[in-house]
Amino acid sequence: MSYKKTSVAIIVLCLILLLQTSFLVHFGLFGYVPNLIVVFLIFWNIFDRDKNLISSGLIASIFGGLLLDLFSSRIIGFNVAIMIAMSFFIKVIFKNYVRVPFIERF
Amino acid sequence: MFKVQSKRSEKIKKIAILAVFLLLLLLILNLFQKEVRSFTYSISSPVQKALWKTGNNFSGFIVSFFKAGSLKKENDEIKTRNQELLARIASLEESKRENEILRQALEIGLEKDFKLILAGVIGKDASQDFILIDKGFEDGVSKDDPVITSARVLVGRISEVYKKSSKVMLVSNKKSALNAEVIERNVSGVIKGEGGQKIIFDLIPREEELSNGDVVVSNGLEGVFPKGIVVGQVSDIKKDDTSSFQQVEVKYGFDIKRENALFIIVE
Repeated sequence: MSYKKTSVAIIVLCLILLLQTSFLVHFGLFGYVPNLIVVFLIFWNIFDRDKNLISSGLIASIFGGLLLDLFSSRIIGFNVAIMIAMSFFIKVIFKNYVRVPFIERF
Repeated sequence: MFKVQSKRSEKIKKIAILAVFLLLLLLILNLFQKEVRSFTYSISSPVQKALWKTGNNFSGFIVSFFKAGSLKKENDEIKTRNQELLARIASLEESKRENEILRQALEIGLEKDFKLILAGVIGKDASQDFILIDKGFEDGVSKDDPVITSARVLVGRISEVYKKSSKVMLVSNKKSALNAEVIERNVSGVIKGEGGQKIIFDLIPREEELSNGDVVVSNGLEGVFPKGIVVGQVSDIKKDDTSSFQQVEVKYGFDIKRENALFIIVE
């Protein structure tokens, strides 16, 4: 796991959350603001080619889920579980079934 | 063979350690949920407050930029409406004067006004219809206190109180319900949250006549919200032959994009 990559992901997640809960609320369509944390984590996991079990994608997913839980009214762990599952799902799919040459280079 | 097995068992060991560590962390966070959230909000609130204000100003600018064409029409409509309201105020002033004279004659004291605390909005919940405000139990806020806007429009009630911030459950939250009425038509029902800042006026008998634009106000029967606070305006009426009640869609009076400051009714 690259500590540098993980730290960058954590800082970006904090910024996205602050924007999502305070700034983007004013620009939502029909009252809905897209969940940018989920969008960011999907892309981060797709482009993260770390083959270790504890990858920066997984740590970022746990942290992102934790942030979403802290800023919502649900039990802490609800979004963490969803984000971990999403991270594993993307890793499994990309490891076994998808070969994209330009992603391999990252 | 041995190498593969030891590698696999090492992997399982790693997964187990990670899972146990994560479960313990989540358990501790849930046990001290209030403190953890309070601490997080105290750190994030200054940045969120600034972002909220910036977003509000910026969206105002964008809206005025794109809606420049329809502004004249809107202005004309508002002018007409303003004249109607002025006429109504004049008649109400007359009623108020009569009311005061009658109260004096009967020696009934006027209803005391609310004790209010001014609070700023700092953020919206990441998933549901909750907002975060910058006043907490240090400022005298307590659970279930009603929250209104400066125009006396109902926002919701305090659902969680932290040290320097509180969470407000909006009327549009799916768990929210309150008794309300349309005074002009003497129709009572229940306002229910639908999520996504939508509300409905439910449990109104089919026979009752309502029309678009009717103002729905709280009637205080549930004992949480004060009487006579505006909730919204009727926007759509649905009558189903199979149901003995009609379902009315209400345009929620509180617009999260416009409000910076709210009032908490503490007494």
